[in-house]
Amino acid sequence: MKHFLVRDLMVPLSEYATVPKGSTLFEAVMALEKAQEEFDLEHTQYQHRAILILDSNQRVIGKLSQLGVLRALLPKNERIQQIEDIGRFGFSGQLINSLREKYRLEAGIMEEVYKKAARMKVEDYMQAPSEGEYVDESTPLDTAIHQLVLGTHLSLLVTREKEIIGILRMSDVFAAVFHAMKDSEIKG
Amino acid sequence: MMMPELKKLLDRIIQRVNINLRELGYDAGPFVQGIIPFNQMVKFYAFYGITPHHPLNFQFRHSNLSGSYFLGRCRVTNSLLYKSDIRGDELKKKGDVFRFQNFEIPISEDEQIDIENSFLIKTLVHNYSHDPETLEKFFIQDVISLHYANIHGSPSEGCIFGPFSTVDLTTIHDCVIGAFSYIQAGEISHINIDPGTIWIRNPGKFNFLYRYPKERLANYVYFNTGSPPQGLFIDFVEDRKEAFQRVFDVVNIESTHSVPSSASLDRYAVIKPHTHIGENVLVAQRAYLQNAWLGKGANAQENCYIINSRLEGFNVTAHGGKIIEADLGQKVFVGFNSFLRGRPDCRLTIGKESIIMPHTIIDIREPLTIPPCHLVWGLVTNKQELETNSMPINAFSKIENRFSKGDMIFEGTGADFVSAFQNRINHILEANGAFFNGTENRGHAQKNQNISFNTIQPYPEGELEGLYPTVIIQP
Repeated sequence: MKHFLVRDLMVPLSEYATVPKGSTLFEAVMALEKAQEEFDLEHTQYQHRAILILDSNQRVIGKLSQLGVLRALLPKNERIQQIEDIGRFGFSGQLINSLREKYRLEAGIMEEVYKKAARMKVEDYMQAPSEGEYVDESTPLDTAIHQLVLGTHLSLLVTREKEIIGILRMSDVFAAVFHAMKDSEIKG
Repeated sequence: MMMPELKKLLDRIIQRVNINLRELGYDAGPFVQGIIPFNQMVKFYAFYGITPHHPLNFQFRHSNLSGSYFLGRCRVTNSLLYKSDIRGDELKKKGDVFRFQNFEIPISEDEQIDIENSFLIKTLVHNYSHDPETLEKFFIQDVISLHYANIHGSPSEGCIFGPFSTVDLTTIHDCVIGAFSYIQAGEISHINIDPGTIWIRNPGKFNFLYRYPKERLANYVYFNTGSPPQGLFIDFVEDRKEAFQRVFDVVNIESTHSVPSSASLDRYAVIKPHTHIGENVLVAQRAYLQNAWLGKGANAQENCYIINSRLEGFNVTAHGGKIIEADLGQKVFVGFNSFLRGRPDCRLTIGKESIIMPHTIIDIREPLTIPPCHLVWGLVTNKQELETNSMPINAFSKIENRFSKGDMIFEGTGADFVSAFQNRINHILEANGAFFNGTENRGHAQKNQNISFNTIQPYPEGELEGLYPTVIIQP
């Protein structure tokens, strides 16, 4: 595989979806949609999967993933906590799913749930980056792969000195690895 | 400082329990420091029973045993036992064979209850170790067990058992069991169980779970740091505490109650007027009967209260069961620590062969009838709640796969669950001697009739004040 550095594959911050702290989930999802439309899909078939949250100094303070947005749809009350707690008593996944379904039917129509979730604040569902989620722009790709795999991250924040300048997405790393594999097989 | 040795012992026990529970981030100290004042621990004698039917081997070392009772083989080391019953009359004997899965394991020596570094308060220890890895030793070590807990056939290590909790036929390591929880799950470790959790699991066969609504359970039992357990259960037993003082204060007590020759009435039980005891009845120590009618083969185990009630016969009232203003048909089973309370003007009627599951609360202010052959669980205060928290036994037996009703969930085969209960009820009746016919099927009711009781007491003052001297009693 060609000797890639992280900076070769990263998406610059300016091309990524970002919203300021205090935005709603709806605003974050709209920012994601806009970034997708403007993103150059000629060079990659993969779309963005997260929104970065910036503070008033334009510094990244968190990442809102698709999973984070979906988490906002889950009810949060004692009843649902009890259902989620059932797993530790040795009940099967099917039983827990059937209880979730029963609860969802009792809880009412999903449109209301979507409306409520759309008004929630991004900081309640974002994840602050951990130490292992930062990678310097001049790091070799092999090293970054280790960081992605061992930390089970979907992306890494790319730094130049103390500043975040981009994002290294697992999908782009995978595409590079995939092409390298293909080339080496064809060449025999 | 008052009783420095007892304080050192308590600190050591708390530390050992905390070390075991460090993964759960639990500190037992604030819950148990001062819960029983040390001056209470020198007030009461300990006593042990001698019979020709139970192997004799008591070993007590560096412990306080205040008001506690011992039967069968047991060893207590570095522990505080306050008004607890260590009842070793169902321990395995040398030569028995223990069956587990496809194994037939011979018992190489008489089983022993082995209590070490533990603090048991008003706790019942009974039955035998069901752990195939430790068949000759029923161990209880680094355990704090609070008021009216039951450790039943459950080797335990590094745990705290909340008030009125029960661990039954379960090997248990490093767990916190909340107040009034009932756990029968084979083997568990490193779990913090909320108060009022009823969990019965036989992996691969069935799994039953019911959780009490917290606010409503708190009316019955509530326990937090800084004070002893509170609630209706504690008030109920405290109100009747005085009646026990007389039977414990008098060394040789003459029973004024006539009892059939096939029945057993423990001299440490309280029997109030208008009580009838039928043939093959077993009344254990610390049971309380008042205007109670017990038909043939019925029993009242430790810490049972049967008041203004009639039990038609072959009834099992498990340890800690309370039955007030109620009429029970034949073969009704009332599980551990259940609280069944009718009122004089609205009695509770339970039809024959019904199973009231362990830790059930039925507390009514209108008459209530449970039809025969029903399974009842959870909290029931009226007809609607009975509808939610009960089922005909034959309907439950038909459950395949999974089922939920109210706060109860079940997975597995209903028939296996029901037959496990029914077999166990039958076994209890057998063990208690309910089926004794004059020559065969002897059980506790016949074997426990002639017990000699000896008492032992602690150092009354000095450096070792409160500690019992090392005592070894063997044949």
